[in-house]
Amino acid sequence: MSIQVNDRAARLADPVDVAIQVNDRAARLADPVDVAIRLRPPEHAGIAERFDASDPTPGLDVARNPHVARLLHNRKFQFLMILPNQIVFWTVIFVGLLGTAVPGLNFGAAITWYVWFCLVFVMMVVAGRAWCAMCPFGGFAEWVQRRAFWQRTQKTLSLGRKFPEGLAQFGFVLPVATFLLLTWIEEYFNIAGPGNPASTSFMVIGIVASALIFFLVFERRTFCRYICPLTSLIGTVGSMGMVAGFRTRDREVCLSCKTKDCMRGGDQGFGCPWYTWPASADSNLYCGLCTECYKSCPEENIGLFLQKPFTSVVAPRRRRADVAWAIALLWGLVLYQQINFTNAYNSLDSWLNGHLHIPHYPNPVGYLGLIAILTLVTAGVIRGIGALCARRDVAFKQAGNFAERGSRFRAYFVPIAYGLIPVVGADYFARQLPKFFKSSPRVVPAVQHMFGAAGVHSWLYNARLLSDPRIVTTQVAVIALGTVAALWATWRITTRELIPVSRSALAVRVTTSGLVLVCGAAAAVLYVAMQAAN
Amino acid sequence: MTLTDTNRLPAGTDRPYVQIMTDRCAGCQECVIRCPTGALSMDTKHWVALADDDLCVGCRQCVRTCPFSAIVVEGPLLVGLRFEPEPVSPEHLLGDIGEIRSGLAGWPEALAEAERCLQCPDPTCIRGCPAHNDIPGFIGAVRDRDLESAHEILRRTSVLPDICSRVCNQSAQCEGACSWSLAGGTPVSIGRLERFITDNLAVPPPAPAPSASELSVGIIGSGPAGAGAAWDLLEAGASVTVYEKEATPGGLCVWGIPDFTLPEVVATRPWRQLSDAGLDLRCSTTIRPEDLDGLLVTHDAVIVAHGAGMPLRLPVPGADLDGVVDATMFLQGAKAAFESNGDPAGFCTTLGLAGDAGEQGHPAPEILVLGAGNTAMDVARTARRLGLRATCVDWLDERFALARPDELAEARHEGVEVRFSRTLTALHGSAGRVVRAELALTTQKRADQHPKVFSQKTEELQIDLVVMAMGYRSDPAFADALPGTPLRREASGVPDRRWTASGILANRASAFAHHSPVGRLALGREVSLRAAALPVSERLWAVGDALTGPATVVEAMAQGRRAAAAVLDSRPTRPGRSDRAWSSGQRRVLVCYESSGGKTARAAEAVADGFSARGDQVRVLPIAKVGTPELAAADLVVIGTWVEGFVVAGVRPAKAMRSWLDGLPRLAGKPIGMFCTFAVSPKDSLRSMRKAVEAKGALVVAQAAFGPGELGAEPGVFGPAAFGEELARQATIQAVSQVLVE
Repeated sequence: MSIQVNDRAARLADPVDVAIQVNDRAARLADPVDVAIRLRPPEHAGIAERFDASDPTPGLDVARNPHVARLLHNRKFQFLMILPNQIVFWTVIFVGLLGTAVPGLNFGAAITWYVWFCLVFVMMVVAGRAWCAMCPFGGFAEWVQRRAFWQRTQKTLSLGRKFPEGLAQFGFVLPVATFLLLTWIEEYFNIAGPGNPASTSFMVIGIVASALIFFLVFERRTFCRYICPLTSLIGTVGSMGMVAGFRTRDREVCLSCKTKDCMRGGDQGFGCPWYTWPASADSNLYCGLCTECYKSCPEENIGLFLQKPFTSVVAPRRRRADVAWAIALLWGLVLYQQINFTNAYNSLDSWLNGHLHIPHYPNPVGYLGLIAILTLVTAGVIRGIGALCARRDVAFKQAGNFAERGSRFRAYFVPIAYGLIPVVGADYFARQLPKFFKSSPRVVPAVQHMFGAAGVHSWLYNARLLSDPRIVTTQVAVIALGTVAALWATWRITTRELIPVSRSALAVRVTTSGLVLVCGAAAAVLYVAMQAAN
Repeated sequence: MTLTDTNRLPAGTDRPYVQIMTDRCAGCQECVIRCPTGALSMDTKHWVALADDDLCVGCRQCVRTCPFSAIVVEGPLLVGLRFEPEPVSPEHLLGDIGEIRSGLAGWPEALAEAERCLQCPDPTCIRGCPAHNDIPGFIGAVRDRDLESAHEILRRTSVLPDICSRVCNQSAQCEGACSWSLAGGTPVSIGRLERFITDNLAVPPPAPAPSASELSVGIIGSGPAGAGAAWDLLEAGASVTVYEKEATPGGLCVWGIPDFTLPEVVATRPWRQLSDAGLDLRCSTTIRPEDLDGLLVTHDAVIVAHGAGMPLRLPVPGADLDGVVDATMFLQGAKAAFESNGDPAGFCTTLGLAGDAGEQGHPAPEILVLGAGNTAMDVARTARRLGLRATCVDWLDERFALARPDELAEARHEGVEVRFSRTLTALHGSAGRVVRAELALTTQKRADQHPKVFSQKTEELQIDLVVMAMGYRSDPAFADALPGTPLRREASGVPDRRWTASGILANRASAFAHHSPVGRLALGREVSLRAAALPVSERLWAVGDALTGPATVVEAMAQGRRAAAAVLDSRPTRPGRSDRAWSSGQRRVLVCYESSGGKTARAAEAVADGFSARGDQVRVLPIAKVGTPELAAADLVVIGTWVEGFVVAGVRPAKAMRSWLDGLPRLAGKPIGMFCTFAVSPKDSLRSMRKAVEAKGALVVAQAAFGPGELGAEPGVFGPAAFGEELARQATIQAVSQVLVE
């Protein structure tokens, strides 16, 4: 038997298969192992309804552009993205420790709190985890773990432990906990004020050191997925972004793939550091945009996709309770950071400090207590919506771990919490605006000051981009935009996920939309109140 | 009880307990498609794996194959006890060379053992077997009581099942890689089942095809590698001549392995069958390196399979004393002595040992065997059968012993003293004959570490004879004739992901396999198996120990078969042969490329179009998919790459291409066409590529560089398609043509 193999598709087929088909003489050289492998067929049922809503449009695959493809294939690509940030943050550490104690003139404090935090928010709203792709903290620890800056190495400098499932099942709740801890530390030591620039340095050193420890003990980017204080915020707020991340181009190719190089690592790339399989990703939640899967795939079946804004909020079929609780807790935290300006809270904080012998604001009990109350009130309202609207003939009970377990409360809480993401994200963004509009020009004299020039008398040191009333107007506008987006997302989520399990479509629409409006209004009112308090 | 599964039974019960870590489970189904029992399925709502504990047998195949380590299995292995035949003790050790190991007693035992096999969908045992026998396939046939089918399945990959089932170290190969073994349990008795098949139905003889091609192949050596090659070539209708320097065929299987392990009647079975099938067997014919050119005139192809018969000697003070011999001399002499007309006592006397060995009142002479591998065990156990006392010493730690575990136990059972972590430092003599050995203690922490002498404290042994049995090496006289040998059996780079996916590399084997890294060892063997397909020089192949240095019977046989396939595939032609139909078949062209943005890939397609237009059979593959088998199956290889660098600074072939060229095997005269694509200038890219492939013995027949002008496919421009046509147009691909377009 001899078959002419001149058509292009056949030329690109699996070499072993071709060897068997093409020529019986060549078949003698084929791998006999392949002949004796009898894998079970993969499950195809339910794929369409599971992924159709969240799969990006093929036309939005930017990696189809040969220049982008070449860039993404280059192993130095991520290194070159990390390098500038690495230089900036080591500068932050050294200048923070050794430079001037004037926060506005110290490059470390100025760049971190006037510009960086705000830029990260813009980045996540636009492009999801773009910051994670260039993060100098995880990046540095990963260089050490891989014992290389960009090369594909095999031996790692790590114990390679798996993160225990008992903790891992709480998913996004863990990084929210570390974010709460970091925020309390930041408030207690007035780091982000900014206060003493050395505090900023110690904070960065702390993040780098903890990242390094986790990278040396655990495999892949366990730190980034489960611990990093920013990951819950970037993951949730980033799901509004227009970058879907690296996804499969043809799911059938992935299902029939015998090697899964994107997960295990191939000649050209490491296995996904974020434990994400491009063929089953339905949001950009856990795509760190590190390009490793793209490099690894021997079939060129992975693309870098764009998506419509809020797709990763609205479209995913698999909703996770850990993400929902993370959103509720983040909402509680951002409201706390607004309420703490009020005289009533200051009095409460002083009273608690007096009784608990805490030297100054913020009292940890008051801090955690108020966040817990705000979170539970939000959850309680949603529970009420569930109690009011749920159909009695639908069974909600479902076994599983923390993230997967089902109940009537969760059937409403989880999707509604996803719908709140835009308003929560807008609130965090609005909170960063005053520092940016008031003080971001100080970065220029701060840079000059490192070289002995400029000082507090520089006009840029005292310049501001917007006046206070205009800042509040901008904040309220941002909240309004977030609220509108949240209303749209909630409407879509309600239509698809809540109306089928509710007795009255009208009731569930009114209550969920009402919740979003109340949240938006609360945030906006609090910004106005903060301005009034100042 | 874990936090994850509060509604399920805790571990520690009498059933395995599967925990899916849903946070990390990506729903890739790697576990689902490989679960032997179907205990894993998909939860299509959440798109994560779902486990049914009632179906799980605890083999942990899922744990090993999960790319994200998202499965934990606790609890026992649900598998029956392995059938272990009673150890056979020699009736009278002295002079008894009867086979020491028995097979499975009968069908009930065989069926019970066959039932222990899980019939894994992605069987790791197959990868652990150097020949890649379809183990679940033949065990399935045993279950069906169909020995003919079992033989048929075995025949696809092995011609020596009766020999391999007796001499293979299964614990480091198929049985070490069995799912049960990788899970920490006792593997299926694969070797005994294979032997059961051959014990109960004779290995079918070769069935030669009518000779159509007049292909003539000469094989040097009649060891297992020669047998493997000869069998397949004969069945394909080739005329095969085997040259053997000894008077009887079989090589090391006959003279190197004693009858109590491998009876001679079994060891010579293949050669009886091959001779009956028309093989031209020329014994007592020594081939020296200088004879190879003559053989290449007589034959279309020559396969060197002369083994590694040069014994290693330890250069210690006193090694030149009388009474210091090597294993070859000892084993060959003992074999002759145990034959029906032999004289064991006379052989002992020849060795300088007292003829009254073992008589009352006289302690038997003591021999010191250097080494504790399989050869050393053979020597020591043979010595016991000659009435001698034997002590083996090896500098390895016992945990990393090279001998088969069962062989070591049998040797000790027969009274051989085996001392590990010791090395010989000196031999002392009296009147020119060795009488005393000085040993130093050693320590070894890891298998891949050389032992170190950690104490100057020494031991002394009073001895009458020293046999150096540390192993063998290839004949250095053939070093020039066989470039690139001996080949290192070590895989480099990222392991083949099909192997990773199977789970064989996930963890070391169990205590049963002495915790050998069975996966890594198997990957190393795969390197030599694939290399056997490529000739070491034009029309000359090397296989078995001649290719890799000392290895195992099954490896040698598999390499012999692979070389035979390559000979049949590449249609070599001796000078003056006028069989045009044989040599002028459709040319197979492999175009392989390294592309980043797609430009070089498109150029490779255009080159392929040029060949296609001329009727050649073309395959286009990225270099990541091109390995030894693909290169071996091509008559002409075209290599294309993009060039890296900044404008004209640091311009050179892409790094991936450079690494790939560095890792190429010997290409022995394989015609190569090369091209590169560039933006401004290719500079010396083609020259450096040419240097790299010529260092591997390849013949560069054409090269071209394509800039933006040539890649534009303007009519009249010499572009990739024209390059392909130009290459294809040549009457003979060996004609060197330099086409350099810049």
